[in-house]
This record gives sequence, structure tokens and C-alpha cells, in this order.
Amino acid sequence: MSNETKSNPSGLLSWLDHRYPLISTWNHHIGQYYAPKNFNFWYFFGALALLVLVNQFVTGIWLTMSYKPDALEAFNSVEYIMRDVNWGWLIRYLHSTGASAFFIVVYLHMMRGLLYGSYKEPRELVWIIGMLLFFVLMAEAFMGYLLPWGQMSYWGAQVIISLFGAIPVIGPDLATWVKGDYVISDVTLNRFFALHVIALPIVLIILVFMHIVALHQVGSNNPDGVEIKKYKNEKGLPLDGITFHPYYSVKDSMGVVFFMFFFAVVVFYMPDGGGYFLEAPNFEPANPLKTPAHIAPVWYFTPFYAILRAIPDKLMGVMAMGASIGILFTMPWLDRCKVKSIRYRGVSYKVLLAMFVVSFVVLGWSGTQPATPETTKLARIFTATYFLFFIILPYTSAREKTKPVPERLT
Amino acid sequence: MNFLNSLQKLKITVFISLALIAVPTVQASSHSGPELEIAGNNISNQASLRHGAELFGKKCMTCHSVKYMRYNRIAKDLGWTNEEVLKAMGKTKNRAVDTLKGGMSDSVAKMVFHTKIPDLSLMARLKGPDYIYSFLRGFEVNKETGKMDNKFLPGTKMPNIMPRPKDEAGMAKYNEDTRDLVNFLEYVSEPSKLQRHALGWKVLLFLFIMFIFAYLLKREYWKDIKH
Repeated sequence: MSNETKSNPSGLLSWLDHRYPLISTWNHHIGQYYAPKNFNFWYFFGALALLVLVNQFVTGIWLTMSYKPDALEAFNSVEYIMRDVNWGWLIRYLHSTGASAFFIVVYLHMMRGLLYGSYKEPRELVWIIGMLLFFVLMAEAFMGYLLPWGQMSYWGAQVIISLFGAIPVIGPDLATWVKGDYVISDVTLNRFFALHVIALPIVLIILVFMHIVALHQVGSNNPDGVEIKKYKNEKGLPLDGITFHPYYSVKDSMGVVFFMFFFAVVVFYMPDGGGYFLEAPNFEPANPLKTPAHIAPVWYFTPFYAILRAIPDKLMGVMAMGASIGILFTMPWLDRCKVKSIRYRGVSYKVLLAMFVVSFVVLGWSGTQPATPETTKLARIFTATYFLFFIILPYTSAREKTKPVPERLT
Repeated sequence: MNFLNSLQKLKITVFISLALIAVPTVQASSHSGPELEIAGNNISNQASLRHGAELFGKKCMTCHSVKYMRYNRIAKDLGWTNEEVLKAMGKTKNRAVDTLKGGMSDSVAKMVFHTKIPDLSLMARLKGPDYIYSFLRGFEVNKETGKMDNKFLPGTKMPNIMPRPKDEAGMAKYNEDTRDLVNFLEYVSEPSKLQRHALGWKVLLFLFIMFIFAYLLKREYWKDIKH
């Protein structure tokens, strides 16, 4: 087996390896993990998501040292971090920029999956665990956004929690139960803090672990959508595979530095991200008695928020918003085309995917805008096309005119 | 083939970069009303910040506070000693570690103005420097009521603290005073901005050089991979 190591470990390593599967774990996941040799630009984003996760953990721990989860002190303590704590401003901007970077990286990571059919057999579970990760990440980001206790923190949370109220029969009680009070208050802030810094990060770590374990069980897909395990040499190693380490570890390191450059540009020169990463109204402390004229969630929620607003009925809107995320879980079964990569798929998928991406972007934009008759109309059209992607796909993908798929990587 | 591959990579990179840049920026405030004047201030201009601090201490702090800011921080950032900052801002009775408290308590403000006086710590981040600049210069007599009002915030209780000069002779000083005041307010809204601009280019330079090494290392390792 390839997993057996040829070198004879001695000394401390041998002592450790007798008691813990150190070498075999390393080999299985890094040293002898064979990945296709043709990864392109899109394949950086998994590693980058991991990098941002680590950034959020480290900066988050340091923020917790000075932040106060108290309705009277939260806003002050954030300004205290920004002004009086040594390097506090840097830690806070790394964390706030990291939140937006997380979604940029994850959206591109998911796009990669859609382009190259990475959700298809045998990687359905990798996709589903990934979707769960996305869902938990949204909850994590939502709860984190309440913590600075600014006007948008408060009213954004107010809008989202009130959605629970739309559920028939139990809705209003459920919304109160989530808040722990009749309004968003100190109690809500404290429980969101607990969930944001303890509960959800633990869930995230477990899911990331499972995501990687599941991936390494079936092996990575690639831009050609060809299974590299099909052609192996006499030692049983994939002909088109290369070990993750050192090849992809050095390549990903390059990607990491590239990413960090752009990340640093934002952190040092535009930490509010043009008003999208840090919203200007959030520099005013939360005031339960003063509703802002225009409540916009942070940019990464706006596509789903736009779908919610596009539906005139509140309950239907909540259901459509839930469905817009939930339906992504079923991609492995909605897409019935056997060919994985977009390189060899028919025109219908290319057109549908383009329509989906345009819908997502336009919905995202319209979600940042105040609701006017024009933006509402726009949101309705693109809500329809967003769902149309999933409705048409099972039909067209079963009948797609695909190009011949190469036997080996090109 | 190899060339085509890198061309495609480049295309994707350029596309994503453009897509990110093309996103329009959100207005600092949901401002609706007359068009804002451009403040044109520059927080790296220390002389302007010092002048702004003097004006702020002597004029604005009769009422307004900047509760998250301390005198000694201003001294440190603007190249003053602790004694100098208190003298310049006319606060010799205060200690350097004190925060910038306004001269009017909430209860007095309620009697005089029937409202609270806003703290100005984050006003520049909330409304943007251009708004404050325009507001300061936006006082004029309302033609309907005959009373002094502000075209950017009608009905404001704030008195016209920096009246526009009647002739052209005073305009230069008026422009400078209002701009420096706004500059100071932008500085206090995020004092770390000076630090992050000073540090940022060093970090970027470091990452740029590190990228060259990371790229060369990758190229060295990938030499043996045949496409």
C-alpha cells in the first residue's frame, strides 16, 4: 500500500508513531495524498478558506480579551479596542475584513464546484458537508455582526429574527425564544456572543474536519472532471496525480501570499470596504427607539435578502429565502449529466450557469438598495431566474449534448 | 498548451479583480438634500490637524465631546507634549489622560436646546467628512421663517459657530478653518488611520517580495511535473 512508509522512523518519531498514527495520518492527508496535477486558479480557494478560518479564530480570541458582551458596554469596548488597546485596530480590522473575505473565498470555492461538477458522484457528501459549512458560516457571521452593537447590528438582527415570527402558530413565540426577551436586548447580545465564540466555531471545526476527510476518501476532482484513479502505475499510484506535499503545499503557499497581499490592501487602506464590509450607520450605537431609514444587511447576505423582499407575502418570502439556500444541497441529484467539467458539457449548462451567476450578482446588488418599485421588480425577475436554474437543470442535464471527455488529464 | 493555460489563468484573475473593483461604493450616509461640498482635507497634514485641534478645543468643546479620545493620544499623534496639547486646546485645567468632555451637560443641553448634544467621536465615520464640512458651511437665513437655519440639516439647534465672512478677504481663512476642523474630526473618528497608512505599504512591500520567493519555490518544485 502507498500509505506504508519506506523510511524507518527512529527515536522520538518512532516512539510517537507507536502510540499515535502520526506518519500514516500525515501520509494519508498530505505526504501521500495524490491530487490531480492540473489544478487551476479556482483550486486555491479551499486552502484560502482554511487560512481565513484560522485568521478568524486567532483574531477572534484576541478580540474577546477586550470586548464586553454587554448592551451598555459593547459599543464602547469596540472603540476601546480601536483606540486604547495596542494593535487593537489591526486585530479588529483583520477580523472584520476576514468575515467578508471568508464569503468571497467561499462563494468562489462553491462556484468552482458548479463549474467542474465537483458535487457529482462520488463527491456528493463532500458537497453536502460543504453546504452545511456554508449554512453554519452564515449563522456565525450573522451573530458576530450583532456584537459591535451599532445601529445596523441591532436593526439587521431585528429584521432577521422577526422572520421567525412569520412561521404559523409557533412563530411569535419562537422569535421571542430566540431573542430571550420581547425585544433584542442585553440577553440577546449575550447569547449571540456565546454562540458566536463557542458553539458555532466548534461546529465549524468539526464540519471542516469532515469536509476534508470526506474529500480525501474519494479524492479531488479537477478542471477536466476526469477521475485520476482510473489509470494507475504498477505501484497503484494514479498516473495523473501528484502528492499534495510538496507540490500543492508550495503552490498553495504562493496563493496564500497572493491573497494576503489583497487582504492587506483592504485592511490597511480601505477597512470599511467602500461601506460594504463595515457599514457607516454601524458607527452609531444601537438605539431601539430609532429605526434607520434604510436597513441593509452586510453584502454577503444580500442575494438571499433580496429574494425575501421580492415576495410580497412574509411567510412565502421566508420560505423562498430558505429554499434558495436549501435547494443548493440537492445539486448532486438535480444535475443528471454524467459529464462533470463545464469544459465538456453542452451549451445548455453553460447558459443556465451564466444565468444563475448573473441572477446571484444582481440579487446581491438589489439587496443593498432601498426597496423601490424598480429594485423590487428587478429582484422579482432575478428571483425567478435564480430558481429557474434549478427547475430547468434536471430536464436539460439529462438530454445534454456533451463533448467527448478525455481519458486522461489534458 | 502551456501558454493557453496561463492565458486562461490570467483571464480569470483579471475578470475577478475587475468584478471586485467594479462594485460601486456605498455612500457614507444616506444623505438626501443639497449636493455636498468636498472637504478636501488630508489627515497626514499635521499642521492642519493641530490647527483643527485648537479650533475644536476653543470653539466646539463649549458643547461637544469626543468621549473616546484622550488628550495625550492627540499629543502623541500630533507631535505635541502633554502640556502643549492642553494649552493649545485651551484645557489647562484638565489632565492629559482625560477624555475630551464637552462643556455642557445633558441636563443643561436639554434646557437650552431641548435635545442632547451629539458626541463627535465617530461623526466623520457616520456621516463622512464632506457632510460635516458642508454642514458647518451650510448655515443661511431661511426665507420662509426669517430665522437662521442649515440647508443640510433643517431645524438644527446648533448655532452658526463659524459664520461665513461678508467679503472675499476673509474667505481664505474661513476655508482653512472649516477644512482643518473637519480634518481634526476625521482624525479623532479613527486615530489609528495614521498608523495603518504608515504601516500598510511596508506590509505590502514585504508580501510582494515574499510572493516572488513563493513563486520561485513553486516553479522549482514543479519543474519535474510534465503537463
